Amino acid sequence: MARRVAIVGVGQTYHKSHRPDVSQMELVNEAVRPALADAQLRMKDIDAVYVGNMETFEGIYLPDHSMVDFSGAYMKPGFKIASGGTTGASILEEAFHAVSAGIFDKVLVAAFEKQDSGDSTGAITAATTPAWGKGQARGAIHEFAKQALSYIKHSGATEEHAAMVRVKADKGACRNPYSHLKLGLKSVDEILSSEPLEYPLRLFDFCPQSCGACAIIIATEEEVRKITNKPVWIADTICVHQEIFRAGAFCDFTDKERYSQEIAAERIYKRNGITNPYKEIDMAEVYEPSDWEEMLIYELFGLCPRNEGWKLVEKGITEIEGEWPVNPSGGVLSSNPIGATPTVRIAECVLQIRGEAGEHQCTKDIKTAFATALGGPNWTSMILLKRSL
Amino acid sequence: MADEPQEYIKVTYTKPRPYRWAAGEYLSRLYQECRDNKKLMTVRCQHCKQHVWPPAKVCGRCKKLSGNDWVEVSDKGTVVQFTYTNFPMFDPHAGRYITEEYPFATIDIDDSEIYWVARLEEKDKSKLKTGMRVQAVWREEDRGGGLDHDILYFRTIEE
Amino acid sequence: MSERNVEILKDSDRFVFPWHLSIPNTYPAGVVGSKFLIELRDNKKIKGIKCPTCNQVYVPPSSICKYCFGELSEMVEVSDKGTLLTYAIAYEPNSVQPVEGSPVIYGIVQMDGADNGFVHMLGEVEPEQLEVGMRVKAVFKPKKDRVASILDIKYFKPIKGKVSQKG
Repeated sequence: MARRVAIVGVGQTYHKSHRPDVSQMELVNEAVRPALADAQLRMKDIDAVYVGNMETFEGIYLPDHSMVDFSGAYMKPGFKIASGGTTGASILEEAFHAVSAGIFDKVLVAAFEKQDSGDSTGAITAATTPAWGKGQARGAIHEFAKQALSYIKHSGATEEHAAMVRVKADKGACRNPYSHLKLGLKSVDEILSSEPLEYPLRLFDFCPQSCGACAIIIATEEEVRKITNKPVWIADTICVHQEIFRAGAFCDFTDKERYSQEIAAERIYKRNGITNPYKEIDMAEVYEPSDWEEMLIYELFGLCPRNEGWKLVEKGITEIEGEWPVNPSGGVLSSNPIGATPTVRIAECVLQIRGEAGEHQCTKDIKTAFATALGGPNWTSMILLKRSL
Repeated sequence: MADEPQEYIKVTYTKPRPYRWAAGEYLSRLYQECRDNKKLMTVRCQHCKQHVWPPAKVCGRCKKLSGNDWVEVSDKGTVVQFTYTNFPMFDPHAGRYITEEYPFATIDIDDSEIYWVARLEEKDKSKLKTGMRVQAVWREEDRGGGLDHDILYFRTIEE
Repeated sequence: MSERNVEILKDSDRFVFPWHLSIPNTYPAGVVGSKFLIELRDNKKIKGIKCPTCNQVYVPPSSICKYCFGELSEMVEVSDKGTLLTYAIAYEPNSVQPVEGSPVIYGIVQMDGADNGFVHMLGEVEPEQLEVGMRVKAVFKPKKDRVASILDIKYFKPIKGKVSQKG
């Protein structure tokens, strides 16, 4: 019978664009130490360590090998997982499976990205099928430009809606000590007049490149009792892969296909007896590389009907003080250490459920939340977290 | 912790990593036709009867073997989406930053279910419109470098 | 368009493209890593780091002790002489080797004063003369060629001394 598992400790670094003062290994250690302190555990108490990042972004193959001492994995079992953009959630899923199955009792997962060490667009382009991708130095931004064009066409959303999402994200980021970009945006005009990147995306519509790491410690029910009185239970996790759509990685131009996000949400809601996610779940931290994508995400995870995500933005429903907060931490638009980003989403949900998010704590009481991860081409991971099972 | 060093050292590594990429049976057939006959060829899946693009052994739609019904594909289409870049991006195959001068478009290829993302010849952004008709322009000499090399871009045509 | 490296395959019917991936990477060495490399460049000195709890000295220095997970900061100087723990000779050249030419002799060297070894190259020695446990000394590049890199040590060369039994 599967054992119940909870998150007992989280730690993250202060995400920045450049960290010349640390090596990659030291960056991971900077997140592992606060996670151990948060759980009041020592490294010797941990049974296994799982590490993740987007491989070759920093040009290092097998990144976990060089950081065994720094992640605390010396003489311990564990895996490296590099599943693209979903890496940060995949490590938690694998650890959850192992602890739930009784293989380990207490596991540390750590993910990182050090984007000042390589060129992520170059690396993403290098990840494309050589037949197709060669000669098109496009990267992720091209795919999100296409997603924005498709979203405008199907939903009728305007640039102002996307800009409003960006202003909301920045509000949260300015209250979050860990986030990278704290721009102090006051109006949508600042976004609409920012430098164009790839039509129709402008500079502020898209996520930054950050250096950062995040670590989470999970434990079984029995261990949890000895460690903390504020566990955050992992109710369920799911991962759904998708193939590239005909005309883009993250959007279906023809509006005929099903998205991996919809499938993941359907399955997880069914398994957990959730028939009305808007009422039964309190908030989410989602992976939104662009502000247009965030509006589509509201729809795909069942918060509103298709093509109406922009209405939630107009009514302010997804603000920190709103009825259904999304990304009160500032989200991916404010900090994107890619491998660690989904782990940060999970850690932020944990802080919200515990009531420990400080200035960016939601006004509403958060008992249930979900965190999502997005990878190319449109892979989805989803983690459902609860204050009590 | 430790006090600050006089400077922070960054170790650089710039050696190119060589590899050999085998295109496989189906793509090789397409590349051959491009090189020798300036023709676009692909298979029509034996199960769902749709074009498989790029040509592949397994049909992406029905996940079954595509078969061997090779057909020619039109080199004309309609632009359904277009976009253009305003900043230089790193191209790992060239080993440096390149400012992409051409716009990119998703092109609905005539008489098929194919959407092809390719360059447009038209650099004047004010002339770009969804719905415009375009046609592929072939490289005249030195073909044989794969599809992206043998087709230069799509040119606007009057129709 | 064809500013990138494209191989034109004229006669084949099965296309196999010989391409390469060139992404420049820069790795910050961190605080203790930077100090180590600066000492190589400026002073031709090799420095390690000490863990007071486990009484170990690591070269090159690491800011974490693997055994006790402690945070380390006490840099110590070690000798430029050491013992060859083991070696390997690469006869086949490859595109990512650190120096030109072949064969390249790699070895793991433990400096006097350190508790671990690290990988470097051996020079001024014929393959037949190599012996596990032999004494070696660092040979540095001239000042103008030293750039705060591990390759500021050009190689290790054999010196007279008793061949050590430890290895």
